[in-house]
Amino acid sequence: MTSEIHFENVSVEFSGREVLRDLSLDLDERRIAVIGSNGSGKSTFARMLNGLVTPTRGEVRVHGVDPARQPKEIRRRVGFVFSNPDAQIIMPTVAEDVAFSLRGRGLTRTEVQERVTAALDRFGLGEHADAPAQTLSGGQKQLLALCAVLIREPGLVVADEPTAYLDASNSRRIARFLLDEMPQQLVLVTHDPRLAARCDIAVRFEAGILVDRGDPAAVIARYEEEQL
Amino acid sequence: MYRPGGSVLHRTPAGPKLLTVMALALAISLVPASPWLLAGAIALVIGCYLLTGLGLRELGRQLRDLRWLILVMLVPQALFLSLPTAAVNITRVVVVVLLAALVTLTTRTEDLIDAIAKALGPLRRFGADPDRIALMLSMTITTVPVIAGFAAQVREAQRARGVPVQPLAFVVPLLVMALKHSDDLADALTARGVD
Ligand SMILES: Nc1ncnc2c1ncn2[C@@H]1O[C@H](COP(=O)(O)OP(=O)(O)O)[C@@H](O)[C@H]1O
Ligand SMILES: [Mg+2]
Repeated sequence: MTSEIHFENVSVEFSGREVLRDLSLDLDERRIAVIGSNGSGKSTFARMLNGLVTPTRGEVRVHGVDPARQPKEIRRRVGFVFSNPDAQIIMPTVAEDVAFSLRGRGLTRTEVQERVTAALDRFGLGEHADAPAQTLSGGQKQLLALCAVLIREPGLVVADEPTAYLDASNSRRIARFLLDEMPQQLVLVTHDPRLAARCDIAVRFEAGILVDRGDPAAVIARYEEEQL
Repeated sequence: MYRPGGSVLHRTPAGPKLLTVMALALAISLVPASPWLLAGAIALVIGCYLLTGLGLRELGRQLRDLRWLILVMLVPQALFLSLPTAAVNITRVVVVVLLAALVTLTTRTEDLIDAIAKALGPLRRFGADPDRIALMLSMTITTVPVIAGFAAQVREAQRARGVPVQPLAFVVPLLVMALKHSDDLADALTARGVD
């Protein structure tokens, strides 16, 4: 039985330059923190989980699916939250943007509307349903992005520095949803040691190599020690 | 942008509404202008805005949004043509724009774009994909305020440095930001299952 997240001898090259080297890793924890310096390969790792990056060598399995070979399947099972709140909104209004996540499911208009309303209420966005999405605050936009991801009921949510553009109170709200409220498996790329500490396991990359994994507090402590 | 409401105009399906406005716009643009025609067109616009339940205040807002367009058109026309001719031309354009705005005010973008996609349906035979065209239209509407925001940022940054605003120094950073944005947006589209 393979793990929910399974990497075996995976390398990634961009135009001949190796940015991730010979990664072998199995993860079944609910909340997985990914830490490491800038340019260490965290985003490359995260983006492989939903097929945005294709490995040059090696084998990847995510929830039983090969992301590179089964793009349709993987996008049903894996939701992705990016850092930039502005660049995730596709449709003009809040409700339309969430509804966009349900297209192609063969749902009736009423069914879509019901689900969208329920989801928006859950994220405290109900009163903004018909507002132009671009008029939301950064924090609300990020909640909208998360709402649009979760309404598809993925098995895994990947979040690449989802709080990077947010102030402290909005970061807390996003973190609460990701870490405490949603039941899905989570891969959280973050620079915030407090968020990483709330995960069940942390993995650390440096210069394209997996250098540490284990209890988040210990992994963070070793990381911070080295940075002094 | 859509303003929710329960008026007759809100309840009329997007397709017929769009067709009616297009027909009216065509008529107003092509029929030789007479004072009567213009007066009628203006009355029609006022009547329609009252009918939406959004009232004359909304009409005022729309007109205010058009003030620069009006000015840009008015100056050259008034200089090279006569003032009455300029006024007639501009009234026509403004009436048409206000009628078009009526459609967007009373129709959810989603419904509007569905209607457009349906109208483009016959193009399928020639290899066009109406759903993709519809998606592109929606994304354009979403992206316009973002790019406008970038433009404001660039201008502010230049003002803060006291640089006199040169066209090139304005366009280059704007282009860079827009390209980065479209890259990010493409990722988001892929991640949300559009291929
Ligand atoms: N699409 C790409 N093309 C070329 N190089 C890239 C691309 N994406 C990332 N890189 C490079 O790969 C390295 C790792 O990047 P990334 O995974 O984004 O790091 P992190 O998220 O940890 O900051 C960096 O040196 C970056 O410049
Ligand atoms: Mg990154």
